[in-house]
Amino acid sequence: MNCEWQEKIGLYVDGELEPPAQQLFAGHLQACANCSDSVMAQEQLKKAIRLAGKRFSAPPQLYSDVRRQIHPQTGGRGWLQWGLAAACLLLLVMLGLSWRFPLRKEDSTIAQLVDQHVTMLASANPVDVLSSNKHVVKPWYQGKLPFTFNPPELAADSPFTLLGGKLVYAQHAPGAELVYQVRQHKLSVFIFQAKDIHDQPPAANHAFTVKGWQQGELQYYVVTDASKEDADRLQSLLQEANQT
Amino acid sequence: MSGPDNKDFEKLAIPLLDGLYNFACWLTSDTDEAHDLVQEAIVKALKGFASFQAGTNFRAWMFRILRNTFLTSRTGLERRNTTQQDEQGFEDAVISPDTPELAMLRRADAQLVQTAIANLSPVFKEVILLADMEEMRYQEIAETLDIPIGTVMSRLARARKQVRDQIIAALGSKKVVGIRS
Repeated sequence: MNCEWQEKIGLYVDGELEPPAQQLFAGHLQACANCSDSVMAQEQLKKAIRLAGKRFSAPPQLYSDVRRQIHPQTGGRGWLQWGLAAACLLLLVMLGLSWRFPLRKEDSTIAQLVDQHVTMLASANPVDVLSSNKHVVKPWYQGKLPFTFNPPELAADSPFTLLGGKLVYAQHAPGAELVYQVRQHKLSVFIFQAKDIHDQPPAANHAFTVKGWQQGELQYYVVTDASKEDADRLQSLLQEANQT
Repeated sequence: MSGPDNKDFEKLAIPLLDGLYNFACWLTSDTDEAHDLVQEAIVKALKGFASFQAGTNFRAWMFRILRNTFLTSRTGLERRNTTQQDEQGFEDAVISPDTPELAMLRRADAQLVQTAIANLSPVFKEVILLADMEEMRYQEIAETLDIPIGTVMSRLARARKQVRDQIIAALGSKKVVGIRS
C-alpha cells in the first residue's frame, strides 16, 4: 500500500494540515481503507498516550507554595484565607481524584465506556462500519466477536437512527459499540459477554446517562448525553429485539 | 511585594500548575524534585513577567522556563548526557495499517503506556508530553522547545513510533505488524 497520503497521517490526526487539505484527506479516508486504518491506529495511540500521560496532579501543597511565592507578604488574615482556600482546594482535588481514579473495578469499567463514548463523539471517524442498515452492521461483526446479537429493527417513524458500529475493548474483553442518533444526540450501545463484563452503573453518574442490563448471556450498556427517557426507549427496543 | 502584575501572573499561572507539575514529574521521575522544579520555574517566570509580552503565548513561555530550568538542574544535565537518538527516518514512523495493531493498541493498559513513555529518551519524551498530554500545536511546541517545526514533527513521529513499538513488543505479537523501513 503505497498511498501518497500515508506520510500526512500524523499531520491529519494532529489537525495540523491546512483546512482544505484536512478536508481533502477526510474525503480520501472514505475511499482508502489503508489510510482509514492507519488514522484509527494513530488516534488510538494518541488517546492511550494522553490518558496514560496525565498521571500526576499538582498537590494542594504546591498550589499553596506557589501562591505564597506570588504573594510573599500576606498577614494573619491572609493565612486564614489561604487556609480556607487550601482546604477547599484539597476537597476539590479529592473529589476530582475520586472521579478520575475510581477505586472500584465496576466504576473503572463504566468510566472506560464513558471514555469510549466521548472518544467516539470527538472522532472524525466515529465508527468502523458506517451504515444505518442493521443487515449490514450485524454481519460486519461476524468472525470479530465470539457472540452475536440483534440490533433492533427501527420503524420508519422511529426517532432513532443507526449510524454504524465498531469493535471495542473493556477490561481486555472484546465487545460491540453500536452508535445511534436521536435528534442531535448520539447514543453508544455497548455489548459484551456477561461472563467478561457485568458491572452495573452507579446510581449517580457523570454528565452522561449510563444504563446497564443483562439479557441472556450478554451484558448491554447505553451511554449518552440524551435524556434518560431516550436511553430507556432504546433499551426497550434492544430488549425486544434480543428476546429468545 | 504583591502588586497588580502578580495578580495578573497568578491568573495566568495557576491554571497551568497541573500541566507543569505533570510535565516536571515526567522529566525528573521524582515528585519531590518536580515540586521544587515547578516552584523554581515560577520564581524565574515571576521575575521575568515584566518582560513578558502580552498577547504572546504564556503557556509556551512557562513551559519553556520550566524545561530550561530542568535542563540546567543536576538531573537535567545528567539526562542531557544520555545518548540522543538520531532523528532521521521520519517516514519510517508511519504506522502500518494492519488491523491487529489497532486491536493491540486498544488493549494496552495505562501502566504499559506509562512505561513506554518513561523509556523514551528526553528529547522524545518532552515532545510527546507537550503534543499528546498538553495538546499543544506544533508551533507552540516549537516555541517551547526552541526548535524548528520540522524537528517537532520528526521527533514526535519517532516518539510515537517508539511508544507503539514498545506496546506491541510487550503484548508479544510483534510479528503481526509490518513496520515500514
